[in-house]
Amino acid sequence: MPRGQKSKLRAREKRRQARAETKGLEGAQATAAAEGESPSSACLPFGGEPQNLPAADIPSTPLAPQGAPSTTNTMAADSCTYPDEDSSQDEKNATSSKGTKGRSGDPLNDKVVLMVQFLLQKYQKKEPITKADMLKLVTKNYKPHFNEILRRSSEYMELAFGVDLKEVDPIRHWYALVNKLELTFDGTMNNEEGMPKTSLLMIVLSVIFMQGNCAPEEEVWKVLNMMGVYADRKHFIYGEPRKIITEDLVQLNYLEYQQVPNSDPPRYEFLWGPRAHAETSKMKVLEFLARLHDTIPSAFPSWYEEALKDEEERARARAAARARTAAAMASARSRAMARNFSHTK
Amino acid sequence: MWNKDRPVPSYMQGSTRRVGIMTDVHRRFLQLLMTHGVLEEWDVKRLQKHCYKVHDCNATVEKLEDFINNINSVLESLYIEIKKGVTEDDGRPIYALVNLATTSVSKMASDFAENELDLFRKALELIIDSETGFASSTNILNLVDQLKGKKMRKKEAEQVLQKFVQHKWLVEKEGEFTLHCRAILEMEQYIRETHPDAVKVCDLCHGLLIQGQSCETCGIKMHLPCVAKYFQSNSEPRCPHCNDYWPHEIPEVFDPEKEREAGISKSNKKPLRSRQH
Repeated sequence: MPRGQKSKLRAREKRRQARAETKGLEGAQATAAAEGESPSSACLPFGGEPQNLPAADIPSTPLAPQGAPSTTNTMAADSCTYPDEDSSQDEKNATSSKGTKGRSGDPLNDKVVLMVQFLLQKYQKKEPITKADMLKLVTKNYKPHFNEILRRSSEYMELAFGVDLKEVDPIRHWYALVNKLELTFDGTMNNEEGMPKTSLLMIVLSVIFMQGNCAPEEEVWKVLNMMGVYADRKHFIYGEPRKIITEDLVQLNYLEYQQVPNSDPPRYEFLWGPRAHAETSKMKVLEFLARLHDTIPSAFPSWYEEALKDEEERARARAAARARTAAAMASARSRAMARNFSHTK
Repeated sequence: MWNKDRPVPSYMQGSTRRVGIMTDVHRRFLQLLMTHGVLEEWDVKRLQKHCYKVHDCNATVEKLEDFINNINSVLESLYIEIKKGVTEDDGRPIYALVNLATTSVSKMASDFAENELDLFRKALELIIDSETGFASSTNILNLVDQLKGKKMRKKEAEQVLQKFVQHKWLVEKEGEFTLHCRAILEMEQYIRETHPDAVKVCDLCHGLLIQGQSCETCGIKMHLPCVAKYFQSNSEPRCPHCNDYWPHEIPEVFDPEKEREAGISKSNKKPLRSRQH
């Protein structure tokens, strides 16, 4: 006679408890490999996005397709659990043995786990997050705990990944995930695009600067090749360098990539993009270069002079802008005062 | 106020094991590893050194195993871990960040449509059922009519298969497809549970086996790198199970030093495809 569901669940719980007790200080890797059955939500693979699902109806992972599991796996019914989720499996499981040793035993934690996975996906795809999206992950019973789930998830994101969940629009409840980690070499650049691109960008900006503010593509690759970054090879930090500098950074307005006029066969050149001009400066780039070469900016006299001139111009532009703002404010104030005066008369 | 190195709150502490402290070095490492999906050990070590250099140049670089265990202890209660594996064809050690709670197919789920996921499922079944661990493009494409969701033409399916290759779920060799080492790392559990009868297992390491060598007498199978290690410097290799003469060519044990000296990067090298069965 095949074992009933309750009996299987009880046996599994017993085995898990026994194993957890002997776990002790074993590495997580060893135990995760050995515990073949324990995190066994194998029944609902290849699920659709959370947005597609009425989260309340599906007892186990919301990242699952509606309707019956697609596989022929007869274990499907009782493998739809997280290790300690029995207590949160509203409909399915009769035996709800909570909290085996070795896990937090906290059903709220399972929702936090889902939320963190969801946030990680959004972070990697650089997609914005709405509160509605996040609410969908939380089943009916847990909606009142949503804020706590969110708080714990944010804490995990900060602690483990160095990523901040910020509410960028408190009216429409839009959130964004921002990298908290300081950027390599230059902490002042906008870091929402993710760390890896930035130092690559600084290198390209410095090559452009050194080449008289417009660099042929070959020169850029010459320098990058010297650092072990190649156009046709995946890089252990930068990933796909060619795509980053000719597409991604161009799209983000940090670089301009254009064909050299009248070149045949076509050759290409790089220039600083408007965003690079706005967010960094020749002096900062020169400082970066100097650090790379273990020296100081004035060791490159002609570039240093150019950078100084650039700094002066920027300072003048800032002063002019301040003056304009001050003038505008002053005239606005005097107009307002004149109005008040005429009212109160 | 966010304190970078504060201790881990109790609800984050999973087992009885000591929970490590995460610093920005570990966080940056984790971020970068996540970006890549899967990395070879050589690159992982460089990545680790890079993270130290950026955040904490004076600290001694922790031994990689301890470094990773430290991170894993914090990730444990999230059912995520950095898992180490070995490529089936040439024994390179690799690392990936995997989900343990759901099968990482949830990673796939957000990148692919329903019919695409079903195509992957079909290809996966063919791969698992095959003798060699490879499924031909033709055989996969012939199943296009059986897919769930929106109807897919063969031409489209070809492109979807390429998408799987790009995203490192499948690998293509001469018109045939097998699982990328990352997919094996991430989906091992799922595969074992959904194909309990069809799945093959290495007689030596007991891990999931997609490609490998078989004993022609008793039928046991072994991974190529497991064979390499087991029969290293053995002039008369014999099956560990039935003791019959092992008839296949014994591959070489992967040597990271030799690899570096030759200056060949993985992207340039064409890995040997051993299809002994």
